[in-house]
Amino acid sequence: MNKFQLIQFQALLKREVLEHKNLFIWAPVVLGMLIFVIDFLVLSALSDSDYQRFLEALTRFFANGDALTMAPAFVFPTLPFLGIFYICAILYLTNTLYQDRRELSILFWQSMPVSNLKTVLSKLVAIMVIAPIFYVAVIFALYVVGILWLILSGMSYDVEVAGLGYMFLTATLSLPIVYLFAVTSALWLLPFIGWLLLFSAFANRTPLLWAIGSLALVQFLEGFIFDANFISNWIATRSDIDNFLIVDYGGVFDRLFSYDMFIGIVIGSILIGGAVFMRRFVD
Amino acid sequence: MKDMILKNRYTLLVTVLATYILVVVVEGAITDRQPDWLKFDNSLFTLDVRELRELDGIDIDF
Repeated sequence: MNKFQLIQFQALLKREVLEHKNLFIWAPVVLGMLIFVIDFLVLSALSDSDYQRFLEALTRFFANGDALTMAPAFVFPTLPFLGIFYICAILYLTNTLYQDRRELSILFWQSMPVSNLKTVLSKLVAIMVIAPIFYVAVIFALYVVGILWLILSGMSYDVEVAGLGYMFLTATLSLPIVYLFAVTSALWLLPFIGWLLLFSAFANRTPLLWAIGSLALVQFLEGFIFDANFISNWIATRSDIDNFLIVDYGGVFDRLFSYDMFIGIVIGSILIGGAVFMRRFVD
Repeated sequence: MKDMILKNRYTLLVTVLATYILVVVVEGAITDRQPDWLKFDNSLFTLDVRELRELDGIDIDF
């Protein structure tokens, strides 16, 4: 890839982020604010003595632990963000190619020196690699605001706040795990991503219904006509969260370099290839 | 062949789906893939929700 192509691809990624600010940026920001407000209300409801005991317990707990060992525990509080990320990803993938055709902007992009492959790849990279960066950045901002608030209130209650610094370090060390979890799970779910992109490029209206309906139909026909369950087993294995849940750094390599990941990427690539070719047909 | 597949959007969709199903079925038949629902195994905890069914036999008097 030469410099021009790199700049071109960068511009395509920028376009994706600018066109989908709501899903990439505002969704995690709103969720972060909501979580902060809920935490604030819950802690404000505590009496002064309970709040002081809570701060002391937090400080003691994190001052005595190893930040790197405890970091995985901070993956679980970020699950709401990952949940919202997956919902936004589904909305993005079902609409992105469909929207291009509906607005006829596909004609503009096809008149530019940008191939259909590059366009589809930019959408994949945007949702699999770029979007999680924004989500992790918002989680980090939430941690910074939360820790500042706890430190200030700890100082006002004469609590030794050094442990809160370790807590912040632990939380920050968990962020790369969260990012790698999001990226690895996107790779694991590449067949679903490809399926959604294929129907986003195919459907003339309601691409999500087409995608869900076709999946249900294929499963039904397999069971009803052939009395087999290969596709059902495949879908069940792919959607089993234990297969892509990562809670420590070691888990990333186990998940990435496995046969199941490889076959998922191969099958996902077939569907993504279909989506690329489907962009030839513009109504 | 290429012209036939790329004749219209429907032929392309059918071809892609047929390829997808073929690969999934062949791979499933070779590996005898079975779903492993309700089982969680990682460095933090191991949980097999199916084992919780054993609790059915326990009588609790309220």
